[in-house]
Order: sequence, then structure tokens, then C-alpha cells
Amino acid sequence: MKDSLVLVSRVPAHPDSRCWFLAWNPAGTLLASCGGDRRIRIWGTEGDSWICKSVISEGHQRTVRKVAWSPCGNYLASASFDATTCIWKKTQDDFECVTTLEGHENEVKSVAWAPSGNLLATCSRDKSVWVWEVDEEDEYECVSVLNSHTQDVKHVVWHPSQELLASASYDDTVKLYREEEDDWVCCATLEGHESTVWSLAFDPSGQRLASCSDDRTVRIWRQYLPGNEQGVACSGSDPSWKCICTLSGFHSRTIYDVAWCQLTGALATACGDDAIRVFEEDPSSDPQQPTFSLAAHSRQAHSQDVNCVAWNPKEPGLLASCSDDGEVAFWKYQRPEGL
Amino acid sequence: MAGRQDVFDAIVMADERFRGEGYQEGYKEGSCLGRIEGRQHGALHGARIGSEIGCYQGFAFAWKHLLHSDASERDSRKMKVLESLIGMIQKFPYDDPAYDRLHEDLDRIRGKFKQLCSLLNVQPDFKLSTEGSGLSF
Repeated sequence: MKDSLVLVSRVPAHPDSRCWFLAWNPAGTLLASCGGDRRIRIWGTEGDSWICKSVISEGHQRTVRKVAWSPCGNYLASASFDATTCIWKKTQDDFECVTTLEGHENEVKSVAWAPSGNLLATCSRDKSVWVWEVDEEDEYECVSVLNSHTQDVKHVVWHPSQELLASASYDDTVKLYREEEDDWVCCATLEGHESTVWSLAFDPSGQRLASCSDDRTVRIWRQYLPGNEQGVACSGSDPSWKCICTLSGFHSRTIYDVAWCQLTGALATACGDDAIRVFEEDPSSDPQQPTFSLAAHSRQAHSQDVNCVAWNPKEPGLLASCSDDGEVAFWKYQRPEGL
Repeated sequence: MAGRQDVFDAIVMADERFRGEGYQEGYKEGSCLGRIEGRQHGALHGARIGSEIGCYQGFAFAWKHLLHSDASERDSRKMKVLESLIGMIQKFPYDDPAYDRLHEDLDRIRGKFKQLCSLLNVQPDFKLSTEGSGLSF
């Protein structure tokens, strides 16, 4: 376990500030970081080192909390505490602001692109989740304003292949939404966490969802379709979600982020105890009741809370992390033998 | 002999008896006052909800007339959302405070209104003041 997670590089991405989030572009060649300094930086490799290729310094009046690349890789969306979401188009060397989405009453906490590239979701401290549609002319229109959560919504993420949206909130629940007759509705509420749910990640197949919380656990939820052979009850034609695994006792503080590698299935977590952990599913475990083992644990990954972990979408084992200490770290993970 | 026991009972149990009677009287009076207070609270709360939705309805009708005159808007998303909002407001059961999906429907109406404002490019920042007390939502 000692050598399974090795530090490759560390960069002072957002000096004198926090680095809040990271996003790899679909090609896996660029990493976008955003922070409390209101800037977005784009990182790429030059030889063996990671260098800052561009900076977006105008655009937001307050902290940039999350960034997300469009599936085509040509656009970057940024969610800010200034209550707006900016859409940036990548040109040769630079980024230009295509539009600014307004409407949330206060801090926007997350933004995510649907796999089709036509839909965008944002969520905010105003307790709502907004779904936006974008057409070929880069025109954005609000398709739905969902008021299902009763508290601050921390994160939104789309299913890897279906038009299904998931959100995590300070109200301790995870909610799922889908389109129904021209409008979006909440089709499931996942209860179980005992405190704020900070982040979510779907597994590569989209059948399972991982959630991480202030209650120091990671929960794995599984989707059961109507008529499933396990006999899980469903209401109407909506699938049911059941918690099939809870990872507890591994984290000593709030877990701020969870990332499920789409290439290898490894699960990484970012924790308030400054550590990064990687879990692997036991290959012999029952798919309906899986067990996960701790495969790597980097105790002092950063000098402060780790806010985000992100697996590179093309290079297996390449993991990026960022922290309240303003730094971004790059790691090489190797599944330990005998696990 | 039996008579003497009753007299002692009356004295010994007096405290408990008075307490019991006092409780009953107090409970009755409290229920009455509570009902009055509840009614006032309900009226105020109901008025707030009513004026909020009334505001959305007026807004929606005004915009419907404005957009109707523009042929290009007829099939737009704006019109669909407008009609949807008007429909939701009209279907809302104003005379049933015990309606089990009251808050859910209210939230849906609020969400629809926000979406409409976004499509129309209007900031929803309405403040209503009645008799000096600001009713803002």
C-alpha cells in the first residue's frame, strides 16, 4: 500500500488562496483549476513538468467554485459565488466568454454538462437546481428550475449515458431528476447520510452512484429497474435506488469529494484530514452487496483540507488533487498486488 | 363512619382536585385563545401566499398579452412556460389549506416563475408593501 499512490508533481496553482476544484478535459491533456482568487488556470505538460498554459482572470467577481469541460472539449463552464455561471469557448491560445448565465439568487456551487453536450445543470445555495439547454448557436435557455432540496445544493453530476441528473445537498439527501413531458421532475430521493452530502460520482456503467458526506462515510447506491430480479420495489416506471454499501471508519473528517475512475473503477476520496484515499472493489464480492478495500492512503497529501480529486480520463492511474493550501498535486496510482 | 371518611377525603384531596379543575379550565381557555391566534396566523400566512401567487398571475397575464402580438413568439419556449405557469396557478386549490401537496405545488409554481423570468430576461425582484408592513417574498 505504501507505493501505490506516488506524488509526481506539485504546483502552487492558486497562491495565497484555496484551490476549490479540478477538471480534466475529455482528451486528458489539460487540467482546469479554479479557486478563491477568482481565477481559472489551465495546466498542461511540457516535457515532464506541469505548467500553467493559460489564466482566465476576468469573468467572476468572487470565488470560482467549480469548472466543467463540455463533452466536445471546446467549452469550459465556471460556477461562481458571484451567483453567475460563465461559459468560455476555447480558442487557439485563449478562452473567450460566450455567455454568462444568471438567475440563481446567490452562490452557484456546481455546474455540469450532460454527456450529449446539449444540457447543462447548475445548483446553488438558493436550494435550487437549474437545467439549461444550449443550441447550435451557443444560445442558452433555462429549461427547468427545480426546488426539491430544502437546503444549499452542493453538487450536480450527470449520468454517463442517460439524461439523468443527480444533486447533493446540505439537507443530507441526494436527489435524482429526469425529463417528463417537457419538464424536469425529481424522480428519486436517496436518504441515509447523516449530514451534508458534498459530492457524487457515477461508476463507469452508470448503474451505481457514490456519494460522500460530512458524516465521514462514502455510500454506494445501486439502480434497480422495475421488474428487477432482486425484488427491489419500484414505484411506477421509475427505477429505485438502494444503498448497497457504506464505507465507514476510513475517514477521520468530512469527505469533500469522491471520484470514480472511468477506466479502472478505482474510487478516490478527498478528505478534510488532508489525506487522499483510493478504494478498490473486491473482485469476489457480490455485486448486490459489494465490499471495497483501502488500496492507497496518502496521509499528508496536502497541508490542508483536500477539496477535489480527479482521475485523468485517458491515462489510467493519473490522479490530480487540490487543496485549501492552494496547491494542485499530480499522483500516479498503481493497484497494489494481491488486492 | 362512612360520612366522616368523605369529609377527610374532601380536605386531603382538595389540592389535587383544584389542580385538576384548574388544568381543565386552563386547557379550555388556552385552546380558545390558541384557535384565535392560529386563525390570525393562518390568515396572515395565507394572505402572503395569495399575494405572491397573485403577483405571478398578473405578471404572466401581462406578458401573455405582450407576447401574443408577436407572431414569432407563438411557439417559443416562453409561451409554453407562460401557459404552463398560468395553468398551475389556476389549478392550485386556494380553498384547501390541508392540501397535502401544498408546499410541493408552491415550489413548482415558484420554479416555473423563475424559469419564465430567465427566458424573458427579467429580474424577479418584487416587493409588496401593505399598510406599512413590508410583505416581501
